[in-house]
Amino acid sequence: MASRVSRVPAVPDATRCGQQYGAVHAGVAAGYYAARVRAAPGVTGAPGSRAEPRVGSGVAEEHAFVVDDVVLRRGDTTVLDRVALRVPLGRCTALVGRSGSGKSTLLRVLTRLAEPDTGAVYYRGVPVAEWDVLELRRRVQLVAQNPALLAGTVAEEVTVGAGGLGEERIAELLTRVGLDAGLAGRETAALSGGEAQRLALARSLALEPDVLLLDEPTAALDSESATAIENAVLSLVRSGVTVLLVSHATEQVRRLADHAAVLVAGRVAADGPPGELTYLEETA
Amino acid sequence: MNGAELGWVEVGTSVLLVAVAVLVAAHQRLGLSKDVLLAALRAFVQLIAVGMVLVVIFEHGGALGALGWVVLMVFIAGQVAGRRGKGVPRARIIATVSVASGAGVALALLLLLDVFPSRPSVIVPIGGMIVANSMQAVGLVLLRLAEHVDSSRAAIEARLSLGMDSAEAFGPHRRSSARAALLPAIDATKVVGLISLPGAMTGLILAGVDPLTAIRYQIVVMYMILGAAALAAAVAVHLGQRRLFDQAQRLRV
Repeated sequence: MASRVSRVPAVPDATRCGQQYGAVHAGVAAGYYAARVRAAPGVTGAPGSRAEPRVGSGVAEEHAFVVDDVVLRRGDTTVLDRVALRVPLGRCTALVGRSGSGKSTLLRVLTRLAEPDTGAVYYRGVPVAEWDVLELRRRVQLVAQNPALLAGTVAEEVTVGAGGLGEERIAELLTRVGLDAGLAGRETAALSGGEAQRLALARSLALEPDVLLLDEPTAALDSESATAIENAVLSLVRSGVTVLLVSHATEQVRRLADHAAVLVAGRVAADGPPGELTYLEETA
Repeated sequence: MNGAELGWVEVGTSVLLVAVAVLVAAHQRLGLSKDVLLAALRAFVQLIAVGMVLVVIFEHGGALGALGWVVLMVFIAGQVAGRRGKGVPRARIIATVSVASGAGVALALLLLLDVFPSRPSVIVPIGGMIVANSMQAVGLVLLRLAEHVDSSRAAIEARLSLGMDSAEAFGPHRRSSARAALLPAIDATKVVGLISLPGAMTGLILAGVDPLTAIRYQIVVMYMILGAAALAAAVAVHLGQRRLFDQAQRLRV
């Protein structure tokens, strides 16, 4: 286990997000999240499944997720059509494409909320089916597009997944997503859409995830909320969290992502650095 | 049984009331005249048929024959309640097993503890009441489970995404479904005698039994209905949840 962990790059390479790494290195959040990334994954599938990452099989370990030839059909529709995707560890990867192109389904496949018909998905070099699914979902936090709030008050909502958090920690999580810590006692029913979206992100961050899957996190939000979420994402990536961002907004993808993949009708049509993907405008 | 003796002549006279219903339906142009007639005819045929079967069971079937009749009722009740669970995989099997559990345990307790004698003329009507009420509870459970999955998918998947297992993620919906299913039985128990004079008691009083005896029967009947419905509902939510989620802790439907 230890040998595997030492090979995990806790510090992302110099990239769009990574360039600012040094500046944030002293940050509280940075040290906190770097520690999380170093934590060894607990693979608890079938007996004997404590397999070392399959580096030899071409599934490189510097990737959080490797998606290989995934096909998912729903009735007559092929939602995902031989999708191949690599999500590098500690970076921000964007997934763009029209609605209905399969982006959300792909995120669901990564956390096993949906099962592909054929193909393979690896997390940290191990097939997702071999992970304890609850452990996988805690490490890989999926934040849905219109997240359902689950608790009565803001403070309860932040702790609904993690449980037993102190007031200070709740305040810190709220601050990190740009919410006033004074909101803790507020009824969740009284929140605006933007506040609810940020609260859902805070609720996920409470679990100290290694990977965040964000499905259109700023769609239809006011600019203040959108900026708060973007800042939170940038700071998370700097501190070593891997982010996979589904987004329609080309400018946002260029601001946040190191790498973008374009999904068209269930297929990855192109991928590369967002600055070079001129077709982002047409597809997004 | 020296109460009001009802003969076939009197039954024939009561057809007048069906005529009233048909006339009302025709006069108000409800388009239901045919339905009223068919329903009346169907009730007649069904009850005559059942009556003849019961005569045979009571005279020749013994306790085993009566229990066989109860098993048949459980099977029919399972089909009816299972139809409520569109969207719940294997709803009919779940419903049949749930009704069988609730009715089986309640009936076994009543007979083994000698609350009621193990006579066919007791087993059949008591069994019928238990099965009917279990069926109602199970049907409501399945209906609510399907509704919850439909309307609360986002919340359920949000809980799963936070690393909860299916039992925890579905917990609020499971409890709400069970609660909704038990309310009719609880409410009926609360108002019994005040608003409703239930069937068993009415029947006994009509047959000339002393009201206090009839009431003792009714109390036992209400309690057994509560117990059977609660047990059947509990089994139905448990099995329903297991069918709604798979091994990977996600919604199957």
